[in-house]
Amino acid sequence: MDLSSFEMDNSVSCRLASQIPDVCRTEDCCLGIDEAGRGPVLGPMVYGICFCPVSRKEKLKELKVADSKTLTEAERERLFQKLDESRNYVGWALQILSPNTISTSMLQRTKYNLNALSHDTAIALVQYALDNGVQLKEVYVDTVGPAEKYQEKLSQRFPGIEVTVKPKADSLFPIVSAASICAKVARDRVVKGWKFNEDLGDVDPDYGSGYPNDPKTKAWLLKYLDPVFGYPQFVRFSWSTAQTLMDSKAVPVHWDDDEEDGEKAAQRQNNKSMLSYFSASAGGNDQSQTHKTHRFFTERRLRSLNTL
Amino acid sequence: MATKKKRAPSAQNDSWVVIAADSVIDTHKHDSNPAFVRLRNPSTDAASLYMLGSGDAQLYEVKAFEEDFHSWFVGQTVQRDGRLLFVTPMDPLYLILPYMIKSDKEGKFQPVHQVVMDEEFPACARLLSCTRSLASLNHIAEEKEAGGLKFHRYSQEKTLNWLKKKVERTVVVLKKRNISVGEGVKSTTYVRAKTESDCCEEDYLRYAHGLISEYISEDLSKALLRHLQLPELTSPKETEPPSKKRKLSDKPVKAGEDYTKFNSADFAWKPPKKMTAAQKTLAKVDKTGMKPMSSFFSPKVKTEK
Amino acid sequence: MSCNTSVTHVHISSVSQAQRAPVHLMPCEIEHNGPAQVSQYLTATTKDRKYEKTVSFRGRGLKGQELSCPQGYTGLVLKEVVDKPGSDQEDRTVRVSSVFDKVTYWNLETPPNSDDTVVMAMDWPELAEAIHGPVED
Repeated sequence: MDLSSFEMDNSVSCRLASQIPDVCRTEDCCLGIDEAGRGPVLGPMVYGICFCPVSRKEKLKELKVADSKTLTEAERERLFQKLDESRNYVGWALQILSPNTISTSMLQRTKYNLNALSHDTAIALVQYALDNGVQLKEVYVDTVGPAEKYQEKLSQRFPGIEVTVKPKADSLFPIVSAASICAKVARDRVVKGWKFNEDLGDVDPDYGSGYPNDPKTKAWLLKYLDPVFGYPQFVRFSWSTAQTLMDSKAVPVHWDDDEEDGEKAAQRQNNKSMLSYFSASAGGNDQSQTHKTHRFFTERRLRSLNTL
Repeated sequence: MATKKKRAPSAQNDSWVVIAADSVIDTHKHDSNPAFVRLRNPSTDAASLYMLGSGDAQLYEVKAFEEDFHSWFVGQTVQRDGRLLFVTPMDPLYLILPYMIKSDKEGKFQPVHQVVMDEEFPACARLLSCTRSLASLNHIAEEKEAGGLKFHRYSQEKTLNWLKKKVERTVVVLKKRNISVGEGVKSTTYVRAKTESDCCEEDYLRYAHGLISEYISEDLSKALLRHLQLPELTSPKETEPPSKKRKLSDKPVKAGEDYTKFNSADFAWKPPKKMTAAQKTLAKVDKTGMKPMSSFFSPKVKTEK
Repeated sequence: MSCNTSVTHVHISSVSQAQRAPVHLMPCEIEHNGPAQVSQYLTATTKDRKYEKTVSFRGRGLKGQELSCPQGYTGLVLKEVVDKPGSDQEDRTVRVSSVFDKVTYWNLETPPNSDDTVVMAMDWPELAEAIHGPVED
């Protein structure tokens, strides 16, 4: 697994993939989808797919892949090694969603929630396999949300493919276990070797699991809080843990879409120029009541002053 | 999600981001410091901030670019106040003019030093130190010399000719900079009523006249409009198909005499606190090709003088 | 400063000692005046893409570009000098603390373009010259 393309720019999301085994282009295949690092406040979330011919399902079982969460890091690395050695019939692909992508998506003007982001990422990975000629017949997905709706969405999106969405799919279907191992190995490696883009000197690497309830993670978040910038891009700003700490310890920052619901935001987009001008100039200023400033100035938000 | 905190009121500023004409910082030319002063704004009659530089030889105007929700990073510091101040050279005649007009009521030639006086704004006397002031007084006044002293009397005719030249200069730059002068507001939501190429000479003249009017009294502005042979737009009726208007508003449209309404029409109105159902619907419809919204609401902003 | 007679003096000779500083116009109000690790957080993570710069601040995606000061103009940051006690109470004094010749302005998520208000505001000096420059006799 070569992570260098992500490490070159870890502020954006990145796709990594194995070679497509030839046999996957000629035989009916099954594909598993799983994710790693959904909960942590630190580091990327990784989506993984793994696929192999339906005829080799049993062979995959013999590799003894299991749900990545029940394995130690060393075991996961060993199993990933085995998968890699089976590259003549097992393929995989990963989408690394950088913490910066997660923050900026979830905090976007038109909010992009984590579920939508996850679903879109999973769909793009399946599409990637199809685009590369993988003869997909069965897709197995692990899910945290309601399975039925997600299954319906995927079935509609990929007609002709039998989609199974199930909680704990990673312990039920070896191909999902394999996907979860790929995703988890990538997430662990990325977190371990995180290169801070910020110019912070040597950063204490003892950030624990990255889960908000891990005391080490908490201590790290307190230590690395900057009063103006908040956190380095390694931290997911959209997590309430990070927000709460910034609210109590960093300086307040206000955006023009604060305290707005979607409809208000849309209105604001339409009327921004006009209304923001007036809200800014409403409270007493130098302009007399009757004088109307020429639109050259109002359009450019230029006004005269009566004091510095 | 995050708790949204209320904005705390801002304390008095102690730092400012400014874009200033190079002459402000040309320290070779003079040894006295420039200073921000308050003078009477000829258009609003209220105090505005100006700058006198080069030992009072040069007057500057101060304008702030100001949008809500902005702050500056300057080097390794943060400045909460996100305004950007422009300090641009200004013609001192615009500020001298109201005093000349006022003194003209007596109809006699007077020494200008006795005219440009203002108890409220004592700094106005410094305007006469500006290099261009005395040399260019002939643009707005008749001049007489007696006993080695100069006397002046306001001349509207001269002033209008001078202002006309100002308008013409402005038109040249508006065209050069490709500034949208059509009735449409340059904004993504309001589709321009006319494209740049449709803009006729009159649009440019009216726009430039509106800009110059920022520096003169309303009366003089109207006189200038006549001098430019531009008809005064007295009522939106002339530009508005009546059918459309009746449909959109049941209130009578006031026939404002104030030409400036047309310059700032799109910004001059404030939405009424409560909109009628029809107005709400209107607010949602596509505004493509429609006329300034001020014509839909009675102009609450203006009235008493 | 309510009194019309008060004046703010600009210690202009300070311009020769003023440091050239990068300035960023941010699309949010930061409720703070004082030091900030701008180069460590903002400059270090800014990406120069083809038509825009990108960065994030407090988890929000920003897009921006550099804007030069209009020709014949210089950027100045003025800072108030607290006068010694006993000096004139009414007048204030400022000095030039930094100078700049370009501004980096940032939009929240929107790609920078020529309709951005700050870009349009840069029209002002040339228009001002038309309105205020001397006319021929």
